[in-house]
Amino acid sequence: MKKLSILFFLVMFSSLSYAQSQFMLYSMKGNVSVVENNVTSKAKVGKMLDSKAILKIANGGSVTLVCNEAAMFSIVKAGNYPLSKFNDSCQAGRSSVSANYVKYVWAQMTKASVDAGSNRKAYMNTVGAVTRNVNNIWIDSKLDTVNYAGGDFPLSWKCYSEAKEFEVQLYTQDNIATPFFSTYVTKLKINIPDLVAKMKPGNSYFWNAAVKGEMNDDLKVLNYVSKEKFDEVINIINNQKPGGEAPAEEAYRTAFMLEDAHYLADALKYYSKAAQLEPNSILYRSTLMSFKKDYEIK
Amino acid sequence: MSDHHENSDHNAESHQKSNEPNKKRPFHKLIGHHAKKAGSKFTKYLTERDTIFATVWVFIFIILLGKIPLNLGVLNPLKLGLKDFDFNDVYYSHVGNEQRNDIDKNIIVINIGDANREGIAMLVEKAASYNPKVMGLDVLLDGERDPTQDSIMREVINKNKNLILAVKYQEDSNGKLIGGHNFFKTDSSLFGFVNFPYNSEAESIRYYYPFKKDAHDQHNILPSFTSAILKLYDSNAYKRVEKMVDKKVTIVYSRKVTEKKKQYLVVEPETLMSDGVDSSALNGKIVLFAYATPFNPMDIEDKKFTPMNEKYAGKSIPDMNGIIVHANIISMVMEDNFIKKVPAWGNLLLAILVCWLHMSFFIHYYLESHIWFHLAAKIAQVLSAIFFIWLGIEIYTRYHVKVDMKLSLVTIALAVDVIYFYEAWAVWFHRKSGYKTVFKPHHH
Repeated sequence: MKKLSILFFLVMFSSLSYAQSQFMLYSMKGNVSVVENNVTSKAKVGKMLDSKAILKIANGGSVTLVCNEAAMFSIVKAGNYPLSKFNDSCQAGRSSVSANYVKYVWAQMTKASVDAGSNRKAYMNTVGAVTRNVNNIWIDSKLDTVNYAGGDFPLSWKCYSEAKEFEVQLYTQDNIATPFFSTYVTKLKINIPDLVAKMKPGNSYFWNAAVKGEMNDDLKVLNYVSKEKFDEVINIINNQKPGGEAPAEEAYRTAFMLEDAHYLADALKYYSKAAQLEPNSILYRSTLMSFKKDYEIK
Repeated sequence: MSDHHENSDHNAESHQKSNEPNKKRPFHKLIGHHAKKAGSKFTKYLTERDTIFATVWVFIFIILLGKIPLNLGVLNPLKLGLKDFDFNDVYYSHVGNEQRNDIDKNIIVINIGDANREGIAMLVEKAASYNPKVMGLDVLLDGERDPTQDSIMREVINKNKNLILAVKYQEDSNGKLIGGHNFFKTDSSLFGFVNFPYNSEAESIRYYYPFKKDAHDQHNILPSFTSAILKLYDSNAYKRVEKMVDKKVTIVYSRKVTEKKKQYLVVEPETLMSDGVDSSALNGKIVLFAYATPFNPMDIEDKKFTPMNEKYAGKSIPDMNGIIVHANIISMVMEDNFIKKVPAWGNLLLAILVCWLHMSFFIHYYLESHIWFHLAAKIAQVLSAIFFIWLGIEIYTRYHVKVDMKLSLVTIALAVDVIYFYEAWAVWFHRKSGYKTVFKPHHH
């Protein structure tokens, strides 16, 4: 009898330890595939997956899964995800109705009543009026076209909502419907060098930024200029050099003309050079500071 | 009267005596003593005739107030706010469904979006290719439109014999019960009425009729949309509602679809058309087509107020697409998850008991600690409200029985005011006819 009991517990224990979570693919966005038994197939809504499956999410894709009919979670970053690593996400709250009730009553009784308008953040997020063709992201028209040949320079934007994560997307000129690259950032800017690996010199691209989960149709141009093309531009600028120009003046003029030609990263380099060569010049210093402020350069 | 005071003195004396050896008493006896003392506040006046008559007066007041033909709550924000309120709404909106996350995999909702008749026909055709057991089209296709589109729609309806059409429960000009507002309904069509019994769009949907019978023709019975679906999908479940003709059934909401909770699979039209749905999710299941935008709270088209609304009293916006209400009804019937209601006499009996206990407690404070009367009464009212709502929710959860606590709570609220009236009445009656009462003239 004792042996039978031990055997029974062993069987129970082993079956429990092998119990697998079941995931239901509730919704998805973008390119998502599933690997099951080494076979890759297109992910489909409503498909049941076990812990052995692997989800492959391409750039810009996201997936919402419901686990064991208990817990729900989303994966929004590109990558390969073995579902076994989400077993701990399958735990659902097990509090009783009475406990929920006590918590609810206590929360309501201790909830502070806030005078309307005294909460500045809440006040600023009230709707106010309808919007027309305006979304939560505003990108300065100065960044409508950016010619980039190298160097460190940020693409920045302003956000009117309390968003914590933003999606930056890159489009080719041939396909402005589907981004070929997408990444998430928490700051209100992204450095162009972070995108360079996805672009080829000599090509033009579109970019935009949106609050995570929202759409932004406002596309901006990002030209990745080849070194040869940039050298041509610099030569044209140098050829316009007037007689008797001091090095600082030359740097300042070059910076101004580069900024006018939308070579913003290079303009920054030359504005900095001008301010460095003549540190006492208020004009050079203040122009550099204004430029940095305009383009959110720290 | 004098007896009462003698009793009081005796109690006070015995209390004083019993206080002396307190220090030497064991802890459990000390607690027992205080519990007994607290209990006596409820029971001391329980059998006094004043308590019983004051309780009776509370109910007389409730009846009299109810008989006033004018709507006295016309400017009362509390009454206006709580017009469509049920204490069990707290269960649905905040307390009860928090731990439930299960998806009903028998039902799949396909959002038709802004599709026209041709677009809807294409969606139905596409879904039909996955061999669902039943399909329900929760759209009132009223009147003729574009002939080409109508012809495509009709062909799809004729082809799919498992498609249930939506009609409106209404009467024709002769007073005959008909299913109207669907141009494609024929004698051979399967259909069910989709409208719910409520007086205005601003009311919560709490009930539905599985079947409605013609007032003049006993054989003319119209099935609801959900009953028509269940008839094809699950005969056992259908048997549960088959005989519920003209019976108002309380809807038990068990699932919702929001950003936070996704308890029915809602598929977007483009996902279905681009083969983005797994065939196992549709094969042999119930597929419901409707305008469903549960993830966009600002889109209130075909959205209803339900007890699951997070804001269960006061101003709010509709919270649930009509099709999710239908899905909840189907889930309820298939899971045999009906709610029984305590009859009116049961609620009345409970209210009498609650009122009687509270009246005894209030009279105790009114006579013996009048300085604390209002404070004690207000605290008792708040604590009682919290306790009785909890009790109602617990009974609802454990036994699927709905106890209406509204009357009980109204009696607790009225009891305090009635004591003042009763005191004046009892004293007047005492002077006139020698009515024995514990209230003295000008007691306070």
